[in-house]
Amino acid sequence: MERWHAVASWTWDAQDETCGICRMAFDGCCPDCKLPGDDCPLMWGACNHAFHLHCILKWVNSQTSQAHCPMCRREWQFKA
Amino acid sequence: MDQSTTSSFCNLGILDSLSNDSICEILRSYNGFCAATQTLLAAVDDLSARRDFVAHVHSLCKHGLDSLVRDHFLRVLEETFERNGASRFWRHFEPYSNVTGLNKNDDLEIDEDEILSVLHSALEEIYLEKGYQEKCLLMLVHAFQSYKKQVSRDTRDLDAERNHLTTKYQWIVSSVLTATLPRNFRVILHWYFKRTLEELSTRMDEELQDHESQSKDGMDLDEKGKICNKVGEMDVDECYNDSRYSENNKLVNSIGKVVLHLRSLGFTSMAEDAYASAIFLLLKAKVYDLAGDDFRSSVLQSIQSWIQAVPLKFLHALLVYLGDSVSYESSSSGLKSPLASQPSSFCPGIDSPSEGLVRWKLRLEYFAYETLQDLRISKLFEIIVDYPESSPAIEDLKLCLEYTGQHSKLVDSFISSLRYRLLTAGASTNDILHQYVSTIKALRTIDPAGVFLEAVGEPIRDYLRGRRDTIKCIVTMLTDGTGGNSSASGNPGDSLLEELNRDEEIQEDVGIDDDFNTDDRQAWINAARWQPDPVEADPLKGSRNQRKVDILGMIVGIIGSKDQLVHEYRTMLAEKLLNKSDYDIDSEIRTLELLKIHFGESSLQKCEIMLNDLLGSKRTNTNIKATISQPSQTSGENAISMDTISATIISSNFWPPIQDEPVNLPESVDQLLTEYATRFHETKTPRKLQWKKSLGTVKLELQFDDRIMQFTVAPVHASIIMQFQDQKSWTSKNLAAAIGIPVDALSRRIHFWISKGIISESAGVDTSDHVYTIMESMAETSKNGAGSSGIQELLGGDEEEERSVSSVENQLLKEMTVYEKFIMGMLTNFGSMALDRIHNTLKMFCIADPPYDKSLQQLQSFLSGLVSEEKLELRDGMYFLKK
Ligand SMILES: [Zn+2]
Ligand SMILES: [Zn+2]
Ligand SMILES: [Zn+2]
Repeated sequence: MERWHAVASWTWDAQDETCGICRMAFDGCCPDCKLPGDDCPLMWGACNHAFHLHCILKWVNSQTSQAHCPMCRREWQFKA
Repeated sequence: MDQSTTSSFCNLGILDSLSNDSICEILRSYNGFCAATQTLLAAVDDLSARRDFVAHVHSLCKHGLDSLVRDHFLRVLEETFERNGASRFWRHFEPYSNVTGLNKNDDLEIDEDEILSVLHSALEEIYLEKGYQEKCLLMLVHAFQSYKKQVSRDTRDLDAERNHLTTKYQWIVSSVLTATLPRNFRVILHWYFKRTLEELSTRMDEELQDHESQSKDGMDLDEKGKICNKVGEMDVDECYNDSRYSENNKLVNSIGKVVLHLRSLGFTSMAEDAYASAIFLLLKAKVYDLAGDDFRSSVLQSIQSWIQAVPLKFLHALLVYLGDSVSYESSSSGLKSPLASQPSSFCPGIDSPSEGLVRWKLRLEYFAYETLQDLRISKLFEIIVDYPESSPAIEDLKLCLEYTGQHSKLVDSFISSLRYRLLTAGASTNDILHQYVSTIKALRTIDPAGVFLEAVGEPIRDYLRGRRDTIKCIVTMLTDGTGGNSSASGNPGDSLLEELNRDEEIQEDVGIDDDFNTDDRQAWINAARWQPDPVEADPLKGSRNQRKVDILGMIVGIIGSKDQLVHEYRTMLAEKLLNKSDYDIDSEIRTLELLKIHFGESSLQKCEIMLNDLLGSKRTNTNIKATISQPSQTSGENAISMDTISATIISSNFWPPIQDEPVNLPESVDQLLTEYATRFHETKTPRKLQWKKSLGTVKLELQFDDRIMQFTVAPVHASIIMQFQDQKSWTSKNLAAAIGIPVDALSRRIHFWISKGIISESAGVDTSDHVYTIMESMAETSKNGAGSSGIQELLGGDEEEERSVSSVENQLLKEMTVYEKFIMGMLTNFGSMALDRIHNTLKMFCIADPPYDKSLQQLQSFLSGLVSEEKLELRDGMYFLKK
């Protein structure tokens, strides 16, 4: 055998399939991005909910006081 | 003497008032007059008869009987002409009474020279007879004149008398001849002119060529340019220096004489018809001769030169001879040599040609244009096949049509030849598409506004819509320069998109000089005389090319929408990318850039991501390799290193649905893939890989006892063959289990290796089981009769069956088949339905399980499939059940 060129698809290691903010697939990208994957990463909160990084940043920035997770309403903390 | 009694009877009223003496005198004079008339007209022209004649006329005039004289004389003249003129004249032609057509075969029986001289002498004879009778008529006129002089010295009405009698006589001549005209005379005349003109034109042609070759000899380029002009201007001085000139002149004169004679017999229009049709025949033959089946050179110029040089020259000479030409040099031209007196003759704008000649020129040119046009139209299909080499013929046709305005002829004829030649089951979709594109390119020249293309393209588009592989062929043609287009004209290896782009750039560089205004367009529409659709409001057309024929738009028009085209492109791109064993996508990137120009970036977003995945995969691959410093497996002879592994990692959300079938890969490969995935997860946390094990390509080198073979195959094939490394023989059940695929799938896949002569198949112990054995040597292979030898590189696969990406149609077919019954039912009830209506009805009624959610284009594509399966029929945009 000289070369084995395989095909794979990548996926985010997340529990949900879609982003709770923009409702787009995690394996796609947020509405502001064109390229999925590294360019539009996911971000997990302390509550273990995941969102597109761009989506959750927008969300956090739009909240006047302390931001909460859009899914479980717990206080939003970026997972370390 | 019954004539005299009837005459006298008519004048009984006068007789009553007359004395006996007078009556006697009148009777005597009348009898004398009749006798003298008889004698004179019988051509016994003696002096005494003349004297008697005049005396009797005078005497009868004295009694006021001049009208009696006139009537009697004309009656005898008519009888004599019937006897001595007409019937003798026609008798000459009696031997040729079987000549009824100008058919060449009919003429074989005739001695051509004989008929020629018969015509000449017959005309000569009747002309002489007529001349003599005219002389006698003049004698009567003179008798009247001399009487009037004696009586009143009044000479005013003398010319009137003569004109009256001459006109009467001319009328008698032509009515007698017309009444007795035999059928064959017209044919003989026609034949005569045809023959003499052919002879003349042959000589003139020779002259023309001699003249050209003479002037071509030893002259420089400057002079060469003048040939055309010289021919065009019919430079008589030079042409006619040799002896042939007088020969031609003689021939023209003898033709002229025949025409003159015929005219004097009242056959003016018959003669003209005869030589006109002979000239047109000649011209037609010349056009056919010059044009022929050669589409790669323009012939209009040489046809025009020929018209100037041959028929017009002849007509000019003829008209001058006949005296019809009001010549500008008539004062100096003696009748003896009409041609010589005409210097460089007539050419538009030079001097003032006679009106008759100008009319002739227009007639001949129109006829030539029309003939060439009809000839080219009848071969338009071949011309377009030959495009662009045939563009001179297209250019000619354009000029002809501009002149004749018969564009609709072209439409009808071309559409019917399309139906007959191209739109048949035997023609491949690719060929039809290429002819369609060539048609658009070729007809753009003739019809820059695209009005006519609209009409011609319609049947092609309709036809293509009924074919299932149309979209695929279109996409291939647009994007792929190398594949599929066997009959492509133009640069091989260049996609149509590339070509269109280049054209556009050229146009931009040149500037928009081929833009035309609305007046031109309107003129064209008027000329074409049909109701054109306004150029479709196509968003693809930039304002810059709004009025140009949009090739791409017309191609997309076949499919119906650009979305469907893009969709098919994405499917084909996916297939292509997944079958790549490297990351080289330069040409795909270029194609995508071109597509983006025409179809907009947003619609190609997904394709862009697909290409980006390939680029990303390349980077990732390199990174992963870098993290693995040492091959983890070093033991075993089948050990393979990570270096041999590479991967394409796709963002599956943006790719078309991909069919992945489970398959057990060889353990060593599987381990490496797992490790690869782990590395990926490590470098790209929190992303992970999911292998699509049946996809990809495997390059193999098989080493046998006596040979080495190379293959590029799908993973399934590789898995199969690699099972034979450790075990030479497998039963189908066991092998299927080892690879993890169903037995029937295995037997399909393994066929690839069997056909290569690498594995042999034999019946197993159990009838449902087969035994597969690897062939270790060539000898074994040839013993089994199968196979091939040497190094092979093939993309293994059971052709169509093994498309990794389910194509649009297959995918759609799966989803649409549930509606098929419903559609058939609708059509049974309604007879026929348009696409829209079927779509709306489905939307209305199929709301559950599964709800109808397809686009109009998807429905159309599905219906096209049913049409090609001959379940449905598509006519004028309506779908019918096929009976
Ligand atoms: Zn999101
Ligand atoms: Zn984003
Ligand atoms: Zn949460």
